[in-house]
Amino acid sequence: MKNVIEIDHLTKTYGKARGITNISFNVEEGEIFGFIGPNGAGKSTTIRTLLSLIYPTSGSAKIFGKDCIEFAPEIKKEIGYLPSEVFYYDNMKVIELLKYSASFYKKDCTKRIKELAEIMDLDLTKKIDDLSLGNKKKVGIVQGLLHEPKLIILDEPTSGLDPLMQQRFFELLEAEHKKGATVLFSSHILTEVQRLCDRVAIIKEGEIVAVEKISTLQENNYKKFKIHTKANLDADYFNLAGVSNLVVNNDTVSFLFRGNLNSVMKKISDVEIANVWIDEPDLEEIFMHYYVKEA
Amino acid sequence: MNIFLHELKAYRKSTMIWLVSLTAIMVMFMSMFPSFSKDAEQMTTLLKGYPEALRKALSLDLANFFTILGFYSYALSFIVLAGAIQAMNIGVSIVSKEVREKTADFLLTKPVTRTAIVSAKLAAAFASLLLTNIIYGAAAVMMATQVQVEDFNVTTFLLLSLTLFIVQLMFLALGIVISVMARKIKSVLTVSLATVFSFYFIGTLGGIADEQTIRYFSPFKYVDTAYILKNSGYEVSYLIVGAVLIAVAIGTSYYVYSKKDIHAV
Repeated sequence: MKNVIEIDHLTKTYGKARGITNISFNVEEGEIFGFIGPNGAGKSTTIRTLLSLIYPTSGSAKIFGKDCIEFAPEIKKEIGYLPSEVFYYDNMKVIELLKYSASFYKKDCTKRIKELAEIMDLDLTKKIDDLSLGNKKKVGIVQGLLHEPKLIILDEPTSGLDPLMQQRFFELLEAEHKKGATVLFSSHILTEVQRLCDRVAIIKEGEIVAVEKISTLQENNYKKFKIHTKANLDADYFNLAGVSNLVVNNDTVSFLFRGNLNSVMKKISDVEIANVWIDEPDLEEIFMHYYVKEA
Repeated sequence: MNIFLHELKAYRKSTMIWLVSLTAIMVMFMSMFPSFSKDAEQMTTLLKGYPEALRKALSLDLANFFTILGFYSYALSFIVLAGAIQAMNIGVSIVSKEVREKTADFLLTKPVTRTAIVSAKLAAAFASLLLTNIIYGAAAVMMATQVQVEDFNVTTFLLLSLTLFIVQLMFLALGIVISVMARKIKSVLTVSLATVFSFYFIGTLGGIADEQTIRYFSPFKYVDTAYILKNSGYEVSYLIVGAVLIAVAIGTSYYVYSKKDIHAV
């Protein structure tokens, strides 16, 4: 497999604020790669360095096998970027902005603009100034994809989009992916990363904690269970392999579970329950998991 | 080319407004000229009563004040001041605008070099100022021909008018350097008004003290209207220093901008 992105010991420090330290990972051609971490962990710093918006303190990164600083203009022909916060020239109409954006690439994008606008349900004749946050985001999406880039870099792309549009957007990404595009998807929402990505890099406090396949991550992951039973249960009823933090409080049981879900589900189906909650652990809990593993 | 056209379009409105304002100041002054020149003698006696320092500060030159060229150069000191603000505004907003409107991410992730971006923006700023000066200059000549009482030297008149452009170029270059150096400029007008007026006062002080070296510290004094009136030409040494300053400022801007980190806002 060819690597589309190769990041090699990338470090960026700003005065006293935290940047990123010694980041290394590769993104292979044709994969959807997730990049997760809490706000301020260094996701945007990494992405902005890849796009040569900021320059690394040390280390380097290659995109399509070329240094991302030295060959920046050339590389960017094949990159589509959607920033987390979109804010485009206010005085322009949507179509004017998209045409301006298209004018940087030496191909005719008119047809693609129309297609994308239709999929994303975007009114091309409106002024950008008058658009809501979600609609501005759509402009950003169309702007990032109109030149059919080989590498799509998304920095928290879903904030501000309603669920229906998120769905459309994910379908769009999957379609681009099928056509052969590589996607780097940064997010702090685990579920959307889980849904789309093949592999993820987890970043915390400026350092990569793990690079894992989503499937491995899920196997290693806890699920949070909370069960309301009709009758009081034996305190040890749910005490099986993979369960931790078991708390039994009369008719309410809660615990964390890691392992084959079927074993728990069978146990649950054997008792009369009033209600059940199964939650994904939030990101903090996954990080906790990685910290425990490292310690 | 696309960035150039986009920028030019962005400046269109403000260029129009400035052009109209500059022309309006000029028309207002020049339309007063016939009545001034009629009462020349009385006015001269009156103005002679003013302390000399004040007259120098106001750049009132009594020997020439009642000729159309002298009167025009008096008007120019205000027109150039306004023009400097226009140029400084464009210069300061060239880069800072992208940061303020958060469009830097858009532009800088396109397949263009930063040098190409600065060049296109500079060219657009230059074109806006050039256009302003061409139309203003034409209007000024027309107005002068309307109000003249006797023939005047058109070359000198054009040389005088051109001081607007020269001063504007200096402030444009200064504005760009400031805009590239600053991380974020919240209000362009505050920065440009403060800078322009500071230099204006430095220039005025120099006028009162009659100090030649102080002239190098104010772009307003690189082109001395009194000298142009007398010699129908510019002081070459000042033009050279001015050109060097502009070149250094623009060179620095290119360098700083291509090395600069563009932070998320």
